[in-house]
Amino acid sequence: MIKADKTVINETKYIAYSLALLSIIMQSVFLILKRWNYTVLLGNLLTDAVMIANFFLMGLGIQKALQQNDENVKKIVKLSHSFRTLMIFAVVVIGVALPLFNTIAVIIPVFFPRIAILFKPLLQNKLEKSGE
Amino acid sequence: MLEIAIGIILGCCALGAGAAMIAGIGPGIGEGNAVAKACEAIGRQPESKGDVTTTMLMGCAIAETTGLYALVIAILLIFVAPGLFVDILISTI
Repeated sequence: MIKADKTVINETKYIAYSLALLSIIMQSVFLILKRWNYTVLLGNLLTDAVMIANFFLMGLGIQKALQQNDENVKKIVKLSHSFRTLMIFAVVVIGVALPLFNTIAVIIPVFFPRIAILFKPLLQNKLEKSGE
Repeated sequence: MLEIAIGIILGCCALGAGAAMIAGIGPGIGEGNAVAKACEAIGRQPESKGDVTTTMLMGCAIAETTGLYALVIAILLIFVAPGLFVDILISTI
């Protein structure tokens, strides 16, 4: 069992907090539009958990790849990517197919990590400025 | 005639989903190359391992979103679009 690096844990924490914040915003939008019910919450939680797990597993895969020689690196990363894509596919299919989960609430959080990463440089700049 | 039209809709949705997943090839190759280059960078400057890993993690996550867009489109084309299009077809007739 590979032990997670400090960098991987920190970045996963950042993604988890960002996803939580963006999920609250999404739930609020559903509430404002009067479309909120328990399926929205369940769908959101399902995808959030998978996206955090996906990011963490990607970090572990990269960490493992960095310890290998040059030939194995590409294979490990490609394999990791394939398995993670399959995992997301399986979970999103479950979320879309079962009436227990709201389809829109399952699909929208898939894009949250990208938004979180997009805002990271802005957040870092602000933190650096406040630290000065 | 209706059966043929529904068959065409289902076939086109399946073809579209398959075509969308071509985009899933890119991120795997891209991530592999990025990590290979990061290995080289860490080999040259081992003290910069933390910075390189952080930047690479974020880069890989961004590269992966392209594949995720394609995946979501494929899932929608397989599970949501056929029902929607068939409903539109039936309501039009």
